[in-house]
Amino acid sequence: MLSLRYLKIYVGGAILTVLVVCGVAAPLIAPRDPQAQTLEDRLRPPRWAENGLPSYWLGTDNLGRDMLSRIIYGSRISLMVGAATVIFAGLVGCSLGAIAGYFGSTADEVVSKISEIFLAFPFLLIAIAIMAFLGQGVGNLIMALMLSRWVQYCRVVRGEVLSLKERDFVTAIKALGGKSFYILLHHVVPNTFASVTVIATFGMAIVIITEASLSFLGLGVPAHIPTWGSMLSEGRSYINRAPWLTIFPGLAIFITVFGINLLGDGLRDVFDPKLRRQR
Amino acid sequence: MARKKSGMNRREFLQRSAALAVGTATWPQLLRHAHAASRDRVTIYQTSVADSIHPFNHSSNPIYGNWQHVIEPLVEYDFRRKDYAGVLAESWQFQGNKWIFKLRKGVKFHDGTTFTSKDVPFTIEKIRDEKGGSLQAFNFKEVADIQTPDDYTVIFVTKQPLAIFLDRLENRFMLSRAAGEKYGDKIYENIIGTGPYKFVSYQRGGNMVFTRNDDYWAGKAAIKEVIFKKVTEDAARLAALESGQADFINNVPDHEVARLRKHPRIRIDQVEGLRMFFLAINVAFKPWDNKLVRQAANYAVDAPAIVRNIFDGIGYPCNGPVGANVIGADPKLKRYPYNPQKAKELLAQAGFLNGCDIQLYYSPGRYPKDREVCQVVAAQMVKGGFRVELISQEWALFWDKQGVNGGRLPFYYIGRGGLMDADTLYDQYFRTGSTKRTNYSNPELDKIIEEQQKTPDMKKRVQLLQQAGKILMDEVPFVPLYNLADIYGAVKNLEWRTRPDERVKAWDMKIKA
Repeated sequence: MLSLRYLKIYVGGAILTVLVVCGVAAPLIAPRDPQAQTLEDRLRPPRWAENGLPSYWLGTDNLGRDMLSRIIYGSRISLMVGAATVIFAGLVGCSLGAIAGYFGSTADEVVSKISEIFLAFPFLLIAIAIMAFLGQGVGNLIMALMLSRWVQYCRVVRGEVLSLKERDFVTAIKALGGKSFYILLHHVVPNTFASVTVIATFGMAIVIITEASLSFLGLGVPAHIPTWGSMLSEGRSYINRAPWLTIFPGLAIFITVFGINLLGDGLRDVFDPKLRRQR
Repeated sequence: MARKKSGMNRREFLQRSAALAVGTATWPQLLRHAHAASRDRVTIYQTSVADSIHPFNHSSNPIYGNWQHVIEPLVEYDFRRKDYAGVLAESWQFQGNKWIFKLRKGVKFHDGTTFTSKDVPFTIEKIRDEKGGSLQAFNFKEVADIQTPDDYTVIFVTKQPLAIFLDRLENRFMLSRAAGEKYGDKIYENIIGTGPYKFVSYQRGGNMVFTRNDDYWAGKAAIKEVIFKKVTEDAARLAALESGQADFINNVPDHEVARLRKHPRIRIDQVEGLRMFFLAINVAFKPWDNKLVRQAANYAVDAPAIVRNIFDGIGYPCNGPVGANVIGADPKLKRYPYNPQKAKELLAQAGFLNGCDIQLYYSPGRYPKDREVCQVVAAQMVKGGFRVELISQEWALFWDKQGVNGGRLPFYYIGRGGLMDADTLYDQYFRTGSTKRTNYSNPELDKIIEEQQKTPDMKKRVQLLQQAGKILMDEVPFVPLYNLADIYGAVKNLEWRTRPDERVKAWDMKIKA
């Protein structure tokens, strides 16, 4: 059953698509300006609850801003940061990993030592340290997350390349006179794409959670830009009085990470030759 | 067979479990009655309690409150009279560079010896001993000599005339010289004072216990035993009060106030605090060098709306350059009314026809709800024609030479704590060269500040401070915002008078039958 086999990919992909549409078309979809404060209407519950106002679907926050609009706009930061980090960390990690794996000796020594240094610290701790040093901002956030994520790609790609370069097809191309970089780019690296795609999807989920954690700690993007993490953080002290301030951003993070993990899981099922043979 | 031997079958087990469950569920109810403030003892949970047995190893208001149970100052500030009142001193005179104190007669230390003028220089020497751990030495940096012509007279000679000396002397608690001679280095472990309570025990992070001094010179206190305990977590303090473990707590979070006001056993007391919040303006930066822009900022920010909406109305917008309870406050002054239109007009006059770009700095988590406050301020200022970029910084970066104290921040949200006298704020923020926090310089204002610091007569000093206040309200090198409330929770049968200085005094307390 082809459709069942790809079910995870379909569901995960659908969730991600909805999020991307939300993020890209946020100004068209969101009912209000996410930053417009109406202090008189602060801490209104969702419209279906008692005291809810029909104009605020998911209620308002502690400054009287529309929760739904903020969640829709919040998806922008989550996805942008997630995607950018995955792309940049992927590029850096894959190239260093490929070079280290293929050329070995000094290149491998240097890259491995550097990546070991990064691996020695807990991932969130590096991100916190870098953010404290660089200060708030979307660019800095992506930078911090990238610096703490590239190692994963580097390690996996290096390992793959190490085994690939001993394979017969590589020896064959070498025998035909292929230059090192040509072989690396055209024959070795493309063969690592399957694993990289899988790490990238899982990595994106981790990055989104980390972004939320950093924003929660007040180290993410500036206060006026809505993000799910900072919404959680601001809503925390009102958890008795206005639980919707934490429930909805929490749900948004949950659904997003769930969708991306599902997609990653599905992709792994498809790409992993071991799993493929079992079917 | 083994099961039989255990002596409990399933039914018994279920019955006992049920009994245990009921017991556990009702236990807090029982505790609640058992621990409600008894006639003899009061248990106080505070966010800060002495961190050391050394009574001079801090300079923090709540901790002054702890130690004042045992050791006492010469003078203290009376918030109702808005003037200094004698404690161990009966009267005083300010003459040129001399402060002459007449001491109270018949005051006994806890060991029965009499308090005399000889104890004063002994104590001041201990307070000046920074190597010995004192953090209060700076209060006597202007004192050149201390003379004791007789047993009940002390004369402080200062390098220059120093009208605000009482402010420096307010929290300097007197030790016994006889005890010093007897215990030497161990004086703090055997602390003896003249206070309404005697020291019993202290454990760091645990309890600090005092028992009543029945021979107290001002009449014995109503409550026999006092226990202070440091509990920094808001939720834990609150839970202790609600469960009856504590009779009194400080710093009740404002969003819990409405709920606790309905509590059958708990009373909430609030009082205007001494920490004043404002937006400081550094006039060394453009566009803040322009007075019209500074006034526009004052018209654009609606502090009463912030208090109403962010702090649930539990706060006190400043009417003028300082809060109403501060020495030197001027009841005739009014804050700039909220008027975004007027702000826009002023900006246009200043040449900013298409809005004015500014950055607002703050350090999140330092003050209550600072993140929310700054977002609201930014939104309000946008309506008044500014374009605001919010920048948050780590406290160390924000406060140090890279930030506020290096004069690097153009516009920032700040709170000045323990502000009892307007002089403290004016001298620190607006006097030429005293700090780089605003870089404001106005010879006329400097002259007034200098003059009031030399003026012994309180009325005249207040007039001078009010004069300074008027200049500041016109020049506005800042946007005065509000003082927040100090919120206390107490069991209902505990009576006490709220004070704005974060001090909790058990001898001001009474327990109703």
